[in-house]
Amino acid sequence: MSHKTRRRFIQELGLSSATLPLLMGLPSVASAARQSTRKQRLVVMFTPNGVVQKNFWPEQTGSEFTLPESLKPLEPYQDQTLVLKGVCDRVRGDGDSHMRGMSCLLTGIELFPGNIQGGSHTPAGWASGLSMDQEIKNFLQSKAETQTRFGSLEFGVNVPDRADPWTRMVYSGPNKPVAPINDPYRMFEKLYGSVKDQAHLRSVLDGIHEDLAKVRPHISREDHHVLEDHAELVRGLEAELTAAKDQELQVPPPEQTPGIKETNENMPLISKMQIELMVSAFANDLARVSTLQYTRSVGQAKMSWIGVDDDHHGLSHKPDSDEDSQEKLTKINKWFCEELAHLVKRLAETPEPDGSGSLLDNTTIVWTNELGKGNSHTLDDIPFVLVGGGLDFKMGRSLQYERVAHNRLLMAFAHSFGHHVETFGNPDFCGDGVLGDLT
Amino acid sequence: MLRFMRQENSKIRDTLWVVTCLGFVLASLGDARAEEDLKVRGLQVYKNLCADCHGDDGKGVAGASESPLHGTRSIEDLTRVIVQTMPEDDPDACVGEEAEAVSRYIYNAFYSPASRLGTSANRVQLSHFTKQQYAIALSDILSMSRGNAPANKIWKKGGLKGIYYNDRRHNNKEKKIERIDPVIDFDFQEGTPSEELEKKEEFAIRWQGSIWVEEDGDYEFIMVTENGARLWLNGEQSPLIDEWTASHGPPRENRATIRLIGGRGYPLRLDMFKFKDKRSSMVLKWKPPHGPEEVIPASVLSDQGTYEIFVPTTTLPADDRVFGYERGISVSKDWHAATTAGALEVAAYVANNIDRLAKTREQDEDRADKARKYCEKLVELALRRPLSDDEKQFYVGRFFEGEEHLDAAIKRCVLLTFKSPRFLYPTIENNPPDDFDRATRLALALWNSVPDRALFEAAEKGQLNTLEQIATHSKRMLEDPRAHKKMRDFLHVWLQLNEKEVGAKNEELFPEFDPLVLADLRRSLNMQLDEVVWSDSSDFRQLLLAEEVFLNARLAKIYGVEREFEAEFEKVRFEPEHRAGVLTHPYLMASLAFHDLSSPIHRGVFVTRRLLGRNLNPPPQATEFKDGDFQHGMTTREKVAVMTEPAACMSCHNVINPLGFSLEHFDAIGRYRDHEADKPIDASAIYVSEFGEEIKFNGAKDLARFISENKTAHGSFVDQLFHETIKHPIDAFGEGTRENLIEKFEKSGYNIRELWLEIAKVSTLHRHSPESEGSDVAQN
Repeated sequence: MSHKTRRRFIQELGLSSATLPLLMGLPSVASAARQSTRKQRLVVMFTPNGVVQKNFWPEQTGSEFTLPESLKPLEPYQDQTLVLKGVCDRVRGDGDSHMRGMSCLLTGIELFPGNIQGGSHTPAGWASGLSMDQEIKNFLQSKAETQTRFGSLEFGVNVPDRADPWTRMVYSGPNKPVAPINDPYRMFEKLYGSVKDQAHLRSVLDGIHEDLAKVRPHISREDHHVLEDHAELVRGLEAELTAAKDQELQVPPPEQTPGIKETNENMPLISKMQIELMVSAFANDLARVSTLQYTRSVGQAKMSWIGVDDDHHGLSHKPDSDEDSQEKLTKINKWFCEELAHLVKRLAETPEPDGSGSLLDNTTIVWTNELGKGNSHTLDDIPFVLVGGGLDFKMGRSLQYERVAHNRLLMAFAHSFGHHVETFGNPDFCGDGVLGDLT
Repeated sequence: MLRFMRQENSKIRDTLWVVTCLGFVLASLGDARAEEDLKVRGLQVYKNLCADCHGDDGKGVAGASESPLHGTRSIEDLTRVIVQTMPEDDPDACVGEEAEAVSRYIYNAFYSPASRLGTSANRVQLSHFTKQQYAIALSDILSMSRGNAPANKIWKKGGLKGIYYNDRRHNNKEKKIERIDPVIDFDFQEGTPSEELEKKEEFAIRWQGSIWVEEDGDYEFIMVTENGARLWLNGEQSPLIDEWTASHGPPRENRATIRLIGGRGYPLRLDMFKFKDKRSSMVLKWKPPHGPEEVIPASVLSDQGTYEIFVPTTTLPADDRVFGYERGISVSKDWHAATTAGALEVAAYVANNIDRLAKTREQDEDRADKARKYCEKLVELALRRPLSDDEKQFYVGRFFEGEEHLDAAIKRCVLLTFKSPRFLYPTIENNPPDDFDRATRLALALWNSVPDRALFEAAEKGQLNTLEQIATHSKRMLEDPRAHKKMRDFLHVWLQLNEKEVGAKNEELFPEFDPLVLADLRRSLNMQLDEVVWSDSSDFRQLLLAEEVFLNARLAKIYGVEREFEAEFEKVRFEPEHRAGVLTHPYLMASLAFHDLSSPIHRGVFVTRRLLGRNLNPPPQATEFKDGDFQHGMTTREKVAVMTEPAACMSCHNVINPLGFSLEHFDAIGRYRDHEADKPIDASAIYVSEFGEEIKFNGAKDLARFISENKTAHGSFVDQLFHETIKHPIDAFGEGTRENLIEKFEKSGYNIRELWLEIAKVSTLHRHSPESEGSDVAQN
């Protein structure tokens, strides 16, 4: 388990522990109002360094299409998949393409000039606007019927512990990046910490009673009543803990294998742990919006588990003519796609607690990237692969647009939630309104 | 004669509830019969001579002595008053043994607080850590568990070490300057910090060292810069403020709050860099408890390094103050829930930091063993004694043997320990107390904490049971910053500074009296308190008589002192013809004043209660001092006199007013004045002591001299120091203890430190219960 300071722990709880209610009411409290409306969820999954275009985009458009090598793992869910080619990040200004690719991906707006120097171009600071996932979260949290305990959850997988425009895609406002939680144990603590604490406390109650009995002979008779008061309070705590235990979650917290360290080699394990936590958080309705960020823009994962020992970003710079590298990069993206397919599978096999189908029926995952292609650093043809029924888009299709600004796609996400924004990010890129042909 | 006595009687009635001491101590148990005889005799005398006026149960008789015979005077004082003044019509009728018998009877039957509260007033009740002790104990236990001294002494203050680099990456090869920067308040504009850094486009700076904090509480840190920067405070695990990426623009203000325990130093590091920003600047400010937002002053910064200290953020509910000082006797649901939250906080901290604490690594094969050993040490520190094998198994071993993961084992062990009554109630002791019990008493008496390693080792060797051994350790312990902090806290309570925040003053009348001045005054007062207590003579009287005050340039200007200052604060002979130690310190005078006027009543009540140790009942009716109610042109003194004229008021205000009037030369910000508007100040007063003596004062110096020489005042100081530091009634520590302490205090030249050491010794060695009760805690 990675170290974390108490300060961080408390920040995550959003409370000072002085006010921390010991027996925090259990997280999912389904109200009648909420049950009456259909739940909608959005997940943004990020993987870095562009793709090998020829192995990524289907050749055909429309509902009859073949998934190329990189997207093969999605075959079982092809009818629920929507592949969007021709969506471009048109945002320019300060920062290199990796920085803008990352920090403008969900914000659709320029970076502030700043003090962080990239591999080329001018130095930059943070994005100058909030990201679409946070926009939607704020919208959902503003209404009682769509409010959840956390609103959104930001998951990371092997994101390095540093804060700069390459590591942050979620923004709660201009200059306000939101850090993903990398450590599945920390995420567990955030979601279910009180449940675990309650179990620990329950396990020591007998010991406390035993201790109280042991010290009794050493206390003056006049003070025995204090000890009795104390014992009574311990019994009260016991009763509260029992009551809390009976108040079951919709689904129990996932069992976690202890002691998985955050290393390059453990990336597949951490990815699965994070996916389990996301699925259980959705089942318990702790949030409706989530992001899942693999490493960072310029990420350097070495995927030895699929036989690739080179680092990812290094490989992505190799020319198209380097067949070996193209093959490795295709493998890397296929592995990411397998993780996506695993998330899809877990959502598909987990029923909505109210019996209205599966979680996948009401969740759309958007798989995306900061670049179209690694070696050219292009922000054109940014990968956007959508899976699931959360946004009511017409799925099972492959579409090709003519260099449309990605701001218009971001707006479409909001519109699907009934949040009819007129522009998003830089308005210059929102000219023709919400991206068409999606529903 | 009769007339005088009548007057005197009313005085007695009014002042019978006097003196915070609870002098009487139960007679030894062997003398039960003699005791019984004395009681019968006392009752007879009371019925014959007193009951007509005071009622059978001391509740008073309408038309005669109407106030109930309740008070806090000691039995000796009570006897003296009776001998001198009672019965009213024939004071000679009750003297000698009769007076003593009736005094004892009155005291035990209804007069003393103890008689009204049951027997709790004169015994050591089962007590848990107070709110403050709890926080300190948790912090110190965790520091000691990893081999650190709980409170690091910072010797040298005056600024942080500043290291300047000629590149943006803090690259050691590019290190150009190393110097002490007294404060972090720089505007480099479009240039560089120094000619040695030649690149305008990029440079980096690191400031490091430690910060010394005086008060317990939440500190807000404010970092203002347009560049990239990170601030670490109390540990390098994660920055308190991380603003490494900086979008161009005006300087940004970043704020973060952290809980700290006062009287100790914490590590601080601030890294910044400039890269292609147009300008660069850095200001590091804070807002400490009781202080304004300001640039962190050099006097709290040091280039000396120190280590991280665990500071719990869980706060226990406020302690019981029914006896006038905090005691850990309230076992409420709030308290219980807070101790659970505290135990959970410690459990999470230990589990999350186990590798650092137990000096192990995740991949180590013996990690679990090391964690277990660490936990055993932690439990010993928390329970303040070595563990038997059974106890090791009970608190630690069994959790490590199951299938549970290490994380769960650690948490369960910590939860059980910090929820254990043996941790929570330091008064749970062996009978008779053993060396470990004495170590705990001593640590609480001088540090509000748990025993350190030296005490623990002494106890293990059985070297903590003689006066001499206790004295040796006590002396050593006074050197620890925690003792200084505890003494400071006591003096603040003594000066009533803990009761409410000194407020802002009327801006039209005192335009220059801003929050910075107020903070300077508090610092100045603290310096004076420290200087008196920690000087060689440690003379209590100097608190009242000193003619010097610590001033800085800002204060000198307001208080009319013309002088150049070399140091931040300097000791200045300040209006020696008018000033009287801390009594007339501007901070105290300002705290005992309205926002526009002096307040003779607040000042008088303070002197009566805190300095002279006389008790006052709450006013019979609430009266608000409204300036508009008075004729134009009246002085504050005249207004107070008019307002408190009714007989119901005068019973107390005949004591309060003259004491308050003596301080009328000091206005609402504690500045000396000769006139109020166009009338000269009248600070003359006649004070009538509890024995009916009339003492004439003219001004603060007379008053201070009187207090410094007054036996009741000395007794009151002894009581207050005892109660604030030991947190049990002085009467629970044996008959004659109080009188002995007062006598020693006087003989030592009123040496405050000697008195405290004496209190620590007496309280550590005293045996609370007879041998027959209880058994050995260690043997369960």
